[in-house]
Amino acid sequence: MDEILRANSIYLEKDKRIIIKNLTFSVPRHSIAAILGRNGAGKSSLASVLMGLSGYKPTGGRVYFEGEDITELSVTDRAKRGLTLAWQVPATFDGLKVSDYIMLGSGDKSENILKDVLERIDLNTVSYTNRILDKSLSGGERKRIELAAVFAMQPKLVILDEPDSGIDAISLDKIKQLIINLRDGGTTILLITHREEIVEIADKAYLIGGGEIVKDGSPYEVVCFFKTECDECFHRVIPEGFTKEV
Amino acid sequence: MEKILDEYKELMEAYDRSGGVSGEFSNPKIPSIIISGNKVLGKNTVEGLILESEPIENGASLKIIVKKGTKILFPMKLCFGLIPREGIQIINVYAVIEDDAGMNAISHCVFPNAEHIVHKMNFKLEIGKRSFFRYSETHFHGVSGGIEVMPYVQGVVGEESLFEATFILKEGRVGLLDTKYDMEVMKNGKVELYVKVWGKGNDNILIEEKAALKGENARALVKSRVVLQDNAHSKVVSEISASAPYARGHVDCTEVVQGNAVAEAVPIVNVSNRLAKVTHEAAIGSLDSREIETLEARGLAEEEAIKILVNGILR
Repeated sequence: MDEILRANSIYLEKDKRIIIKNLTFSVPRHSIAAILGRNGAGKSSLASVLMGLSGYKPTGGRVYFEGEDITELSVTDRAKRGLTLAWQVPATFDGLKVSDYIMLGSGDKSENILKDVLERIDLNTVSYTNRILDKSLSGGERKRIELAAVFAMQPKLVILDEPDSGIDAISLDKIKQLIINLRDGGTTILLITHREEIVEIADKAYLIGGGEIVKDGSPYEVVCFFKTECDECFHRVIPEGFTKEV
Repeated sequence: MEKILDEYKELMEAYDRSGGVSGEFSNPKIPSIIISGNKVLGKNTVEGLILESEPIENGASLKIIVKKGTKILFPMKLCFGLIPREGIQIINVYAVIEDDAGMNAISHCVFPNAEHIVHKMNFKLEIGKRSFFRYSETHFHGVSGGIEVMPYVQGVVGEESLFEATFILKEGRVGLLDTKYDMEVMKNGKVELYVKVWGKGNDNILIEEKAALKGENARALVKSRVVLQDNAHSKVVSEISASAPYARGHVDCTEVVQGNAVAEAVPIVNVSNRLAKVTHEAAIGSLDSREIETLEARGLAEEEAIKILVNGILR
């Protein structure tokens, strides 16, 4: 299986703190790769680096997408190449309709696509199409709409940052199935999570701690290591004021 | 004759670009008027509506009367504008909505080639008892910013009546906007004023909205949304005074600044009756970078993302 995404020796430093340190990993095409780690391990920062968000330009290392160095590319240019991100806490938008948001990145603007993706994430088309994507939506609704937008976009690779958090109305099994369906539809998944239960659907897993990859392997191996070794590990949290020369 | 036809055609094209449907001007069921400069290019009235126009120097005077007990079925369409690059247009409107009557009106003011244009509208409004008038005014300007727009609306909302006014200027450059609303609201009457403006370049925007709640249980909502970019400047002065028991008012002003733009918001609340209540909220901030990046992550360019966000705010 060829690699679709590769991060080589990534460093990220913010406010004189090292957030990510010498991080190297890759994601095989048409697979689900999981990045597992505790809160504060650097998972969301890594997602931001990969997507090229402002304030997350790596202080060292390169990011490659389909063999192309995308380290200097804007968010838009990365998205146009087929890379996208579903945020852990998605943004809300005053005045923007749910249907318009979902269809923004879709090549096919037909109503059938909208209906299909809303049904996939258990949202009623009639109730949600004309709703505004503002703060009147619950966190769970907003997360599901984010997933629907990813389904409509059909990216080559999506980074799902904690896709199961805040979705109380959908079971974990449903989320897992949605992610598997997404992969089977041709999208590669980079799954970022702190819950080992969801890692089992991955084809490959990485454990991140203290901004470093501390273990990689099969989901089973990584989850076992996470359960047995991580509590006492130095990487568990980044100590306050921790700095190192990069 | 040919010149007037060309003028009409160009005005209608601009009208369509501003969101209007020019074909409606030929529908006999829809009351309408088209004024280019000081020339009335088209006029249609319906039963129960008096619509009179008279040319004046640099513009026209209009008298609009909705007769007692008449509810006009279709919204009246008004189109004002100037096709030349330079000029002055002054529109004086005297509108009366008599008792138990009502009408909606949609006005488009189009100045597609404006370089040195002045557009003034003096709108005097009297709404009788148990009546309504909803007035929406959308502006479409060219890209040069060489325009001064001064709409002044002054009026009285009678007992148990409603006046709703929406002013929209999102397309093209604002130039100088100096808009004033000054309304008095009587017992159980209600006024809602909405202003939505997108300022660019060195546009200068002054919005003054005043509502005086003089009757028992009178209501007012004064809401403005202004987005500024480049070196644009805005000042929004929103004032509600309440002097009658159970009068209720709310001022809601949001301004978004980008670039070197400068925004001011001045909410004024005046309460002189212990049973009345007026509240206000004002916020000035920038566009959320998370929201922009979320849209960029769907493949939109930054400018497209900003446009979507701004249109959402000004919706």
